[in-house]
Amino acid sequence: MKLQKKCILAFPILFVWSCGFLRAQSREGSAFDQSRYVPDIALILDVSGVGRDMANEKYYSLTIPGFSYPFLNQPSPSGLNAQRGMNFNYGEMSLYSVVDPYFDLFAVIDLAPDGAGLEEAYFTTRKLPYGFKIKAGKFLASFGRVNEQHEHYWDFANQPLISMALFGEDGLNEIGAQATWVAPTPFFLVFGGEVLNGKNQQSFGTGGFSDPQNIISINPVQGPNLYIGFIRSSFDIDEASILFGVSNAMGAARNADPGFSSAGETGNAVAANTDIAGADLTVKYSLDAIRFIGFQSEFMFRVMKGTQYTHESFGGDSLQSLDKHNSGFYAQLVAKLDQLWEIGVRYDLLMQNDVVLGGRNMPLPSNLPRYSAMIEYSPTEFSRLRLQFDRDQSRCLPVSGGEWSQQPYMQVILQANLTIGAHGAHAF
Amino acid sequence: MKSIKLLFFMLFFGQLGFSGQLQVVATYGYIGDIAQRIGKDKVEVVSLARGDYNPHIIIPKPSYIAKMRKADLLIINGGQLEIGWLPQIIKQANNGAVQPGERGFLDLSMHVHLIDVPTSVSRELGDVHPEGNPHFFMDPDNIPIVAKAITERLSELDPDNQAFYEENNKEFYALWQQKMKTWEEKLKPFKGVKVVEYHKIFDYFLDRFGFVIAGTIEPLPGIPPTTKHIADVEKLIDREKVQFILQDVYNPQDAALYLSKKLNIKLLILPHDVGAVKEADNVFSVFDEIVRRLTNG
Repeated sequence: MKLQKKCILAFPILFVWSCGFLRAQSREGSAFDQSRYVPDIALILDVSGVGRDMANEKYYSLTIPGFSYPFLNQPSPSGLNAQRGMNFNYGEMSLYSVVDPYFDLFAVIDLAPDGAGLEEAYFTTRKLPYGFKIKAGKFLASFGRVNEQHEHYWDFANQPLISMALFGEDGLNEIGAQATWVAPTPFFLVFGGEVLNGKNQQSFGTGGFSDPQNIISINPVQGPNLYIGFIRSSFDIDEASILFGVSNAMGAARNADPGFSSAGETGNAVAANTDIAGADLTVKYSLDAIRFIGFQSEFMFRVMKGTQYTHESFGGDSLQSLDKHNSGFYAQLVAKLDQLWEIGVRYDLLMQNDVVLGGRNMPLPSNLPRYSAMIEYSPTEFSRLRLQFDRDQSRCLPVSGGEWSQQPYMQVILQANLTIGAHGAHAF
Repeated sequence: MKSIKLLFFMLFFGQLGFSGQLQVVATYGYIGDIAQRIGKDKVEVVSLARGDYNPHIIIPKPSYIAKMRKADLLIINGGQLEIGWLPQIIKQANNGAVQPGERGFLDLSMHVHLIDVPTSVSRELGDVHPEGNPHFFMDPDNIPIVAKAITERLSELDPDNQAFYEENNKEFYALWQQKMKTWEEKLKPFKGVKVVEYHKIFDYFLDRFGFVIAGTIEPLPGIPPTTKHIADVEKLIDREKVQFILQDVYNPQDAALYLSKKLNIKLLILPHDVGAVKEADNVFSVFDEIVRRLTNG
C-alpha cells in the first residue's frame, strides 16, 4: 500500500523531470529545425450527390456541336458532378509561401482517387518597381473573370457554360508567363499580357498531325502559341463596387481525332487560327456589414478560321475551309441574406453558332440555354453546403443527315465544400 | 506632342499627382485618424474599411488596390484581423514598398501586448486568432503606444520631418493622458460591474476599467448564437447578476434585444472603431462615446 503511494508520487515527479529532459534534448536537437518555414498548406475537399433525369452513359455521349470537337467528350465522366449518385469532385491541396524578399510561390495540387495532378504552380515577383509584376509557371489564365478563379470560389457548383464550351472543363490552364502593370491612377486600372504554350484542346492546341499515308502532314506549332491581353478597371459608387474588363486570346489551333491517323478509320483534323474576345462585369453592392447583392456576367466571342482535313476509311483524303463564329454569355445574381445563407440564380446562353465548312453553312443549333438556381448554407467560412438545380438545354446528340437534336436534362446537386489548414484570402 | 510624352512618362512611372506628401494607407479608421494626427499636412492618409462594418469581414474592393498602389506606408492592425481581406489587396497592388517585411509595412500588433493568446488553436473553437485577441485598440492605454510606433515609422521614412512628427506625438500624448483621467474618473463606479458582450471585441476596454465579462452571446468567436446558447446566456445573466449587454454595431442584434427585453437589463450598442456610430468620428470621440453610453445607461 505504501509502496503504491510512493509510486503514485514518483510518477509525476519522473514525468516532470523527463519533460524537462526531453525539452533540453529537443532544443539541442532542433538546431537545424526548419519547421517554422513550412509554407501555408490547405486542403479543400469537394464532394457532391447528384440526381439527374438521364442515364450516365447517355449523359457522357452529349456534346455541344459547333462549340466543341465531336471527339472531345463533354461532359466527361471525370468532370465535376458528372455521375448520378455520389461524386468525389476534388481534393485540392494548396501551398503558398514567400520565397525570399523578391518572390512568392504558389502551388495547387489536384488530388483524385486515382492520382494527383499539378493544377497550378507559379511564382510572382514582390518588388518590381513602377507597379509591374511578373508571374511565371503553370497557372489559370487571366482571361475574363471566372477562368482564374478556383472551383471552390465559384458561386455555383459548375462552370459557366460559355467558359466550359470554349476552354473545356479545366478552363484555360497553361504554362507560360504573365506581366501586369497597375496604373498609378486614382481608380483601379490594370493592364496585363500573357505568353502561353496554348495547348488548350478546345480552342487552341499545338500538336501536328498526319494521315496514315502521310499525304496530309501538318507540323506542330513551335514555341509559345497563345497570347492574351487584358485590361481591368474598377470604381465605387456609394457602397457598390463595379469591376469590368476586356480580354483577348489569340493563338493557333491544332486538333485531330484519333481516327484521322489510323488506317481503315475515318477522322477529322483541324488546323486553324483562333481569336477569342471577352468582356466581363462584376457589381457587388453591400446592404450592410453582412448582406450584399452580387452580379456577375461575362460575354465571350470566338472566331476560328482555318482548314478541316478529313481522312476516309477507304484511304481518301479531303480538305475544306473552316470558318467558325461562336458566342455566348452568362449572367448571375447572388444575394447574401445573413451570416449563414446565400441564394443565387444564373442564366447561361450559347448564342451564335455559325460554322461554315467548305463554303457551306452547317445546320447547327444556336441559342442554347441553361438555367440554374442555388441556395447555400455556410456555418463558417471553412465549410459550405450548397443545393443547386440546373435545367440544361445546351447538349445535343447527332441525328441522321448532319442534324442535331437537343437533349435537355435536369439535375439536382447537393455539394459539400470544406477547407482545412492555412488558406489565403480571396480576391474580390 | 512633348507634353503628351511627358504626361505618359509621368503616368507610367507613377509620379502623377506627386505632392511631396507621404502616402499612408491605414486598414481601419482609428489607425488613419492617429496617423493623420501625427503626420498632419506632411501625410495623405486613406483608411480602407468602413468603421461600422465587421473588421474581420471586409469586401476586398478593387478600389483599395489603386490606393495601395500609391502607398509609401501601409499600417495594419495585425493579429490576423485583416487576414480575410487584406493579403490579396497587397498582392494585386504591385507595390514593393508595402510588402510585409518592408519599411513601408507597419503591423501595430507587434508593438502591443495581446491578451487571450490561445495555448492551442483549433477551428473547433470558432474563429480564434493564434496571436491573441486582435481588438487591442479598445484599450485606451494602447493608443499612445500605437501613436509612438507610427511616429517612429513616419520619421524613418521621412527623416527630414522627424522633429515635426515627434512634436505632434508629444502633443497627442499629452491630450490623451488628459482624456484618460476623465474616462477613469467617470468609470470608477463601474469596477466589478458584470457584463455580457456579443463578440469578444470590448475585452481590452472592459479589462482596463475593471468590468467583469460574464460571457458572450456568440457561442464561439464568429459563430452566430443558437437558441440553446441564448437560453444558457439567459441563465448566466440571471445567475451572475449581469448589468449590461454590450453589442457592436455590425452583428445582428436580435439575440441581444431579446435578452435585454426578457430580463429587463440595459442593452448598449458601443462603437468599436472611428465611424462605427455617428458620434465617434475620431479616436478621442470613440472612447468619449463608449464612456457616455455606459454612464448614461
